[in-house]
Amino acid sequence: MNTFVQLVIANIKEMARDRMALFWFLAFPVLFILLFGTVFSEDNDTASFSIGLVLEEPDPLGEALAQALGSIPSFNIVSGTHQDELHALEQGDRSLVIVLPAGLSRLLVEGGKAEIPIYYDATRQSSHVLLPVIGRVLDDAERRVTNTPRLFEPRPEAVQSVHLRQIDYLLPGILAMALMQLGLFGSLRLISLREQKILKRLGATPLPRGLLLGSEVTVRLVMALVQTTTIVVIGYLVFRVTVLGSWFGVVGLVLLGAATFVSLGYMLVSFAKSEESAHGIIQLVQFPMMFLSGIFFPVNMMPGFLRPVMKAMPLTYLADALRQVMTGAPPQYSLATDVTVLGAWLVVTFALGIRFFQWE
Amino acid sequence: MATSVNGTVVDVQDLRKYYGQTRAVDGLSFIVEKGEIFGMLGPNGAGKTTTVEVLVGIRRRDSGTVSVLGMDPERQPTAVKDRIGVQLQTASMYPRLTVYEVVRLFCSFYSRCLEPAEVINRVELQEKARTQIKNLSGGQMQRLAIALAMVNDGDLVFLDEPTTGLDPQARRNLWDVVFSLKKSGKTVFLTTHYMDEAERLCDRVAVIDYGKIIAIGSPHDLIKDHFLERAVEFVQPALAGDARLSGLPGVTRVRGNGDRVTLYTTEVPATIAGLMELSEASGTPIKDITVRQATLEDVFLKLTGRRIRE
Repeated sequence: MNTFVQLVIANIKEMARDRMALFWFLAFPVLFILLFGTVFSEDNDTASFSIGLVLEEPDPLGEALAQALGSIPSFNIVSGTHQDELHALEQGDRSLVIVLPAGLSRLLVEGGKAEIPIYYDATRQSSHVLLPVIGRVLDDAERRVTNTPRLFEPRPEAVQSVHLRQIDYLLPGILAMALMQLGLFGSLRLISLREQKILKRLGATPLPRGLLLGSEVTVRLVMALVQTTTIVVIGYLVFRVTVLGSWFGVVGLVLLGAATFVSLGYMLVSFAKSEESAHGIIQLVQFPMMFLSGIFFPVNMMPGFLRPVMKAMPLTYLADALRQVMTGAPPQYSLATDVTVLGAWLVVTFALGIRFFQWE
Repeated sequence: MATSVNGTVVDVQDLRKYYGQTRAVDGLSFIVEKGEIFGMLGPNGAGKTTTVEVLVGIRRRDSGTVSVLGMDPERQPTAVKDRIGVQLQTASMYPRLTVYEVVRLFCSFYSRCLEPAEVINRVELQEKARTQIKNLSGGQMQRLAIALAMVNDGDLVFLDEPTTGLDPQARRNLWDVVFSLKKSGKTVFLTTHYMDEAERLCDRVAVIDYGKIIAIGSPHDLIKDHFLERAVEFVQPALAGDARLSGLPGVTRVRGNGDRVTLYTTEVPATIAGLMELSEASGTPIKDITVRQATLEDVFLKLTGRRIRE
């Protein structure tokens, strides 16, 4: 037991003193989250519309209308001259421009009819949503002026829906990617120990190989948990991504996923003669997996001929499972399927790795 | 030769290991007695490292019997490894651990171990105890390797070319460590291709070439058995290969090596006098005459016709 603990400690010390490795292990996934999170964090729901309002002359009715428009939450009212606001509309800086003509109050007192020009860009989708809203605001104003009662009174009832932002989709995927890289690239260490003849020297001691391998795997699993904590904390602090599912489930999936990729890594490098070739083989596997496993784009955005490839990749299932458990994203596969596929990968690659790894 | 079983720590009979066509070890038989420094001397590629690797249980043999501390390293590798110390020629160590951390780590591999700080002191690395391995010099690295071979306080310590690549000062320091091992009652099995190292360190030497032992015994006996003579050496290209040299008084053998000529003689003064006459008669002055005792180098040369490092 002491031997095992000493090996794990030695391993962690080696890791912690290697700044480059530390960067790839901790900083890289965090940078990934910050980068992609910022790029994709535009949330359509909180989009606001910039409405240009032109008051041709000061007028109490006009100001009341401006107030009514300004009370709509996603409206951002900008006042300006006719010329300036039309120019802003042409530049795309306004969604709409409403012009309240001079003498509005006087016109209404005299029983006349006031025309209110609304300028919009017919090619913009938002115009078709906004025009009826403006119409409704003007209707309300008119009813108040004419004292006509409402026959239909809308009564809004708030319901909280499952609301997934882009980052909620991305974050579990990036965690899955980080675990994949940890496992795959982590296996290079064994090759490096072999190349440096450290394995040979250890072979001349009574240390059993199983214990050595066990300590390596344990260190990867500990690192996986550290990485998970980092990613979840950053996700919460910066993007308010909360973990909806059980922590128990998340930890379980993280450990299963890390073990699967460690195992896959050992299997891949067991065929490599040198550290360089091992590195090449791993890149060859991890790179396509990173882009084809639905981490950055949902799987149904991918062309059909790639689907079978994606269906075979363990990362697809780890990312899917983590998304379901962490942020409650709609599942691609059932959780049971995800876990079964990952487990199968784990068992098969472990068996092949043990069979083919060359210690010398 | 009859040897008590208690006194024998290594017993090898007809050991063979071939790599394809190459006969790395080709029928070695020898024993190592308790408490001695046993050396295996030979050029690179003679089969020294392969022999060590078979004895310490990290390489399988093709045939022959091997007993290390009364056990077969192939059948009981863990038991053998637990009781021997090993320094391998090529091995390095975790680059980012400190000397102390590596010694302590190795300590945990064995059923019995010395205090890490004490082991580090014995190889005089105490000032480097907190230094990471990657920052050690070649000599310090070798001393660490020997510290790791001592950490389990094993009865038998294998050192494979412990001084290769070291400067003279570092070599001498390492010799002191080897002597201290012997003094503490350990048996040391070392390989080297340095003649002077074998002569200075070893109680007994097996001279090995092409996987075979060509001579075995104490350095003193080996030299005495093969050479009662002294060696007279000089530089004179014109006389190299001259047949008259072997006719000089006392000369038993003549060796030429480029410009340098070595005369093995039982009568040093008579040989030199004769050599001077010859030089004057032929009008070729002789430079740099040196007289020395025969060394293991001469033994190797006599037995193989080659120098050990060519």
